Amino acid sequence: MWERLRTWGSRLWSWGRMRRLERDFAEELESHAAMLVEENIARGLSPEQARRQAFLQLGSMAQLREAYREQRGLPLLERVAQDLRYALRMFRKSPGFTVFAGAALALGIGATSAVFNIANAVLLRPLPYRDPSRLVMLWQDDTAYGFPRNNVSPWAFEQWRKRNQVFAGMAALTHDSFNLVGGGDPEYLHADTVTPNFFSVLGVGPALGRTFRADDGRPGAPLTTVLSYGLWVRRFGAQPQVMGQELLLNGAKYTVAGVMPRGFQFLDPEVDLWVPAQWTSAFIEDRKSDHFLTVVARLGPGITERRAGVAMALLGKQLATDDMSDLTAVVVPMREQVAGDMRPSLLVLLGAVALLLLIACANLANLLLARGSARHGEMAVRQALGASRRRVFEQMLVESLLLSCAGGAAGLGLAVWATSFLGQLIPPGVSNAGVPAVNAPLLAFAIVVSLATGVLFGILPAWRGSQIELVASLKQGGGRSGASAGGKRLRSVLVVSEVALAMVLLTGAALMIRSFEKLYRQDPGFRAQHVLTLQTRLQRPKYESMARRSEFYREVLQRVETLPGVVAAGYSTYLPLADAGGGSLVTVENRPTDPKHLLIANVRVVSPDYFRTVGMTLRRGRLLDKRDGPDSPQVAVINESMARTYWPGEDPVGRRFKRGFLQTKAPWYTVVGVVADMRQGGMEIPIRPEAYFTFEQADFFAPDALAVRTTGDPLAITEQVRRQIWAVDREEPVAAVMPLQEMVERSVAPARLQTGLLGGFAAMALLLAALGIYAVLSFTVAQRTQEIGVRLALGAQPAHVLGTVMAQGLKLYLLGVALGLAAALILSQLMAHLLFGVSAADPLSYASVILLMAAVTLLACYVPARRAVRFGPMAALRYE
Amino acid sequence: MDEAKSEILQGTLDLMVLKTLHALGPLHGYGIARRIEQISGQVLLLNQGTIYASLVRLLQKGWISAAWGTSENNRKAKFYSITMRGQKQLREETENWERIAGVMARVLQL
Repeated sequence: MWERLRTWGSRLWSWGRMRRLERDFAEELESHAAMLVEENIARGLSPEQARRQAFLQLGSMAQLREAYREQRGLPLLERVAQDLRYALRMFRKSPGFTVFAGAALALGIGATSAVFNIANAVLLRPLPYRDPSRLVMLWQDDTAYGFPRNNVSPWAFEQWRKRNQVFAGMAALTHDSFNLVGGGDPEYLHADTVTPNFFSVLGVGPALGRTFRADDGRPGAPLTTVLSYGLWVRRFGAQPQVMGQELLLNGAKYTVAGVMPRGFQFLDPEVDLWVPAQWTSAFIEDRKSDHFLTVVARLGPGITERRAGVAMALLGKQLATDDMSDLTAVVVPMREQVAGDMRPSLLVLLGAVALLLLIACANLANLLLARGSARHGEMAVRQALGASRRRVFEQMLVESLLLSCAGGAAGLGLAVWATSFLGQLIPPGVSNAGVPAVNAPLLAFAIVVSLATGVLFGILPAWRGSQIELVASLKQGGGRSGASAGGKRLRSVLVVSEVALAMVLLTGAALMIRSFEKLYRQDPGFRAQHVLTLQTRLQRPKYESMARRSEFYREVLQRVETLPGVVAAGYSTYLPLADAGGGSLVTVENRPTDPKHLLIANVRVVSPDYFRTVGMTLRRGRLLDKRDGPDSPQVAVINESMARTYWPGEDPVGRRFKRGFLQTKAPWYTVVGVVADMRQGGMEIPIRPEAYFTFEQADFFAPDALAVRTTGDPLAITEQVRRQIWAVDREEPVAAVMPLQEMVERSVAPARLQTGLLGGFAAMALLLAALGIYAVLSFTVAQRTQEIGVRLALGAQPAHVLGTVMAQGLKLYLLGVALGLAAALILSQLMAHLLFGVSAADPLSYASVILLMAAVTLLACYVPARRAVRFGPMAALRYE
Repeated sequence: MDEAKSEILQGTLDLMVLKTLHALGPLHGYGIARRIEQISGQVLLLNQGTIYASLVRLLQKGWISAAWGTSENNRKAKFYSITMRGQKQLREETENWERIAGVMARVLQL
């Protein structure tokens, strides 16, 4: 072993210094020859003769040098270099083939690498926390309420934190927002209120200053805040002096304690700063059924996620009380939480590109086989001249590898370029640093895929090319007639698999397109055109009283409504598509509560004109209006889902319900109207029961989203609206300005991108498969030109000949479609849950794919068949 | 078949070169070739140059080392000498060879 290593090491070393070594060797031979000459002279020969004799004794210098070289250097490497030169020469001679093959490979490898890059970022790349695989999220299991992963109540969090024995640390956070005033325009900031151990549980330290200490969370302790890197740069010019400064947030003074490093984020990339939670025990005790915490925990040493789950389930049972929701924690690995819904779509996309790459491989193998038959003569001659089969095999494989590596290099460029827009597929929680376009895993992946591809499509043709019946081939005189029946069968198999694979891909794309169509064209329950939306969040101390808030809403709405070009304006707690949450327990009058199936409804506090502003449809009763003041009877409008679920088969108008349990001290609201269902959390997220209250009568949530319906371009009035709001309160920030239509587009953007990608891949697959059929038929026609000529000469009808040739192609198509159909029916089940309103066995999708493939196949068959007939008998007979 | 035969010959030649260096000490290619010719005639060496392939092989395996020096006739020449590892290899090969030769002799006498 050692000797072999040493030999190769020495060879490698020598290869590098070949020139010098050869000179050295020549000198050594020279000295050897001189000694022989001396010896010969001593034996009595003349100097002339002695010299000649010496060279005879020593042997041919050229041969010796060659042998020396062979032993000294790296013969394999030199052979490969020779093969490469030869391959390059071959490619130059057939540029059409080379460009087509290179492009097909570049597309296949590029698409695969690009999707891999995204999948790697979402599914594999470690999250930017210390030891991220040990981080888990904890949710409260409220399956009975319809929330299998509910936010955690402070009380539950406190119980879990105190009593669990499986976590090394457990932190909670809740989203908050602050109005920052002073030093520029008022700004609306996203914040997370976190338990002081939040940063240490994640294991991330500050870039500047410090993070929170336990002391910061003591109720009554001086208020501190940690800034995000983004806010620090944007608002404070990245100046270190900001440390220790006081910021006025919602009217309270917070001291800046630290700045987090660039790119640090937890789930929400928009968070500008963090403040410590200062919860008193009374606060926690009071919030047994308020679910608003997000909980992250670090597994204790040696504890698996499964074991933590079991332990928390057990703990939940111990804590269970009769009136409380389930206190069982659902343990979800951080990675799963963050990758979220992208996982299945990425896997489907990965599968799609893999199929595309396979089709490209089959196509190239096919082309190489055809070329192989054409190069039969060349190979036979090479073998006759002494090249071993292995040598021929090697040479052909080098050609394929060179091709695949060139394609891979181009594909890598494509992947880097594609990463920029594929980045949309990355869910926001993964990283706001985005994906580096070029990274080591991507490079490694592209290289491996290129080599594997080269071998995959090259090995069959190379093997066939090297297995040549020498004598027979040479007798045939080389040229085009050497293809055997075996080769033809092999190529047909390749074409059939191409058609089958393309079929699978097309079906997937058809299903996605149909699904997207349904998603996008559905009635969302609102009219998004001409609606401007923005956020104003009222500062707490200033707007603590409901009367003060109502005054603000009334005044802003009145001012905005009278702007020219404004049709209507309305406030709401949540805009359409903005959120599926905001759910609340409700009790319906005269309906016994079933503790296993508690009633939940989304609670929205709106201004009366909100319905008209976003374009909702009244189904029954009336909308909220100016009559419903603070002192009038308390009323609510509900959506159809709520009417259907909670008053099945009845007219809900005039019925009453309240928030919370029957015994909860909350007012009853009378239903005065029913509106059509509206998409709440996203175009594909199921609609929940929803109830609307006017801000005059509901103090539980403060509306912060303003919608303005305009006659023209909604963005055009942004400035005027902002001025009207500032006329009411100059310290009120105006944030998240966006047309409602854009929210719709954003909501469907990932689905649109996925559909587009899958569609694009499928189109490429279709093209490649069609080219495959075309190539095989063209080849057969070329082979049978003579035969066809004879037939035509003997009086066969051209139509009949045309039919015979086309039938051959159609046979391949039918076989491929049958196989593809079976595979598609099975594989499409895997993407069933990605589909919206379309079954995985949707007959329309399948039918259209079969028809599309049939049309393309007919075209691919017709062209070569037509050529055969048009050739004419005389030309065909002379053809040889 | 051809390859196998030449491999045996190569092995034999290598062994003889090692033995020569072991017996005579540092020697140049001419000297080694001369010595092997004296002993075996033209059976092993088609011509003297053949020796160099063997020398390169042995160098690569680290069994011999080489250095430029001056010959007895005051001529510049490359001298080869056996290394420690070469000595060891020679011992092993010799034993091996003797064992095989013995067995072969007995088998062939049957």
